[in-house]
Amino acid sequence: MKVKDFHSMDGHAARESGRLSMMGVYREIREKDVMSETKPKQDDNKVLEAAMEAGHILLENGAEISRVEETMERICRHFGVESESFFVLSNGIFTTGSQSPGGQFAKVLHIPVKGARLDRVVAVNQLSREVEEGRYSIEQTRQRLEQIRRMPGKSFRIQVLSSGAGSAGFCYLLGGSLTDSAAAFVSGVLLYIYVLSISRFHISKITKNICGGAWVTCICILSYRLGMGENLSQMIMGSIMPLVPGVPFTNGIRDIADGDYISGAVRLLDAILVFLCVAIGVGVMFIIYHRVFGGILL
Amino acid sequence: MMGQTAAAFLGTVAFSVLYGVPRQYYVYCGLVGGAGWLFYSVLTGCTPCTVTEATFFATFLVVLLSRFLAVWERCPATVFLTTGIFPLVPGAGIYWTAYYLVTDRPAEAADNGFAAIKAAFAIVLGIVLVFEVPDRFFRTKRKHR
Repeated sequence: MKVKDFHSMDGHAARESGRLSMMGVYREIREKDVMSETKPKQDDNKVLEAAMEAGHILLENGAEISRVEETMERICRHFGVESESFFVLSNGIFTTGSQSPGGQFAKVLHIPVKGARLDRVVAVNQLSREVEEGRYSIEQTRQRLEQIRRMPGKSFRIQVLSSGAGSAGFCYLLGGSLTDSAAAFVSGVLLYIYVLSISRFHISKITKNICGGAWVTCICILSYRLGMGENLSQMIMGSIMPLVPGVPFTNGIRDIADGDYISGAVRLLDAILVFLCVAIGVGVMFIIYHRVFGGILL
Repeated sequence: MMGQTAAAFLGTVAFSVLYGVPRQYYVYCGLVGGAGWLFYSVLTGCTPCTVTEATFFATFLVVLLSRFLAVWERCPATVFLTTGIFPLVPGAGIYWTAYYLVTDRPAEAADNGFAAIKAAFAIVLGIVLVFEVPDRFFRTKRKHR
């Protein structure tokens, strides 16, 4: 019957109808494909988004590059995403994913260097382990990541007090007396009030740390002159400690040891720059003191 | 020496608060920092070790402890390492370098600066070496949850 119909048509129409029926079949197959694959493919994007979110939190809060990569891999593996690839730098994540109906997943995140919040690193690490144990669906994972991102920081008062306590402790450690430590406590507190209030403005790290070093030295000289504390050097050494970039320093070393040279070098440069700037700040204040009041301290 | 170790403990705990370490790890961070400093001061005081060598061995101890605690507590070693290393960071060396530079004593400045750089490299070496030890080594007494 059909054959006969074909024969009765002219060539063009027959070809056309054949193509249409072929297209129909093709469309059917494709729809079937899509039906069976749309859901996981849709999820693929979600998984990749979640993995990037996790990487973002880790990178921003002071994790090593290898940990960021490993965590993103873990999340993708667990949810069955195979063909993704990541490129993680100290201030950015580049991700491409497998082909999905909407096209390739590709995303770049720029992540400016921020202060370290190790509780978030711990939380994401814990989360990735729990994900691997199958305790979370992809939606729950995303919600959990959002919670981690919103984790409240320490209050102003606690940060300031712990900076003071740290300064006092390191002042004593480096050979200061108890009165020196008390003075270092005060300057550590004042230093962190400065650090926290200046972090609201967009000022380069260089300026920030030079001013920080100078500010600490100024306070220490003042309290030394007022008779509080007898070893000026120990007081200053103790109270510049909160400015020391511990997280970039250790992470830079570990990144270089892992072979992530670019990120490691950037982080070490960051640490060295801060070290130098603090030293310059201290030196500048000494020079100012010397010029204004004459005589060398100590 | 005990007073200084207590100060190292206090300072490390204070900095772990500053870095937002979860509360349950404060004491561990303090112990790592205190142990590192105690070992350092024993080495410089009671053995013929130079400051650089003492820094290296103390770093070695700090990183070992951090990695052990990391496996024990199932959390990143970074938490204990970044805070625990603080007492060993050559902050004093950097201060003296700056001080001698501005007081126009270049020879002392160079000496102190060079010492600080050597100490920094000792820390680098200590961290890198201990992270070469495979994870298995630390996993002997894993905490069960």
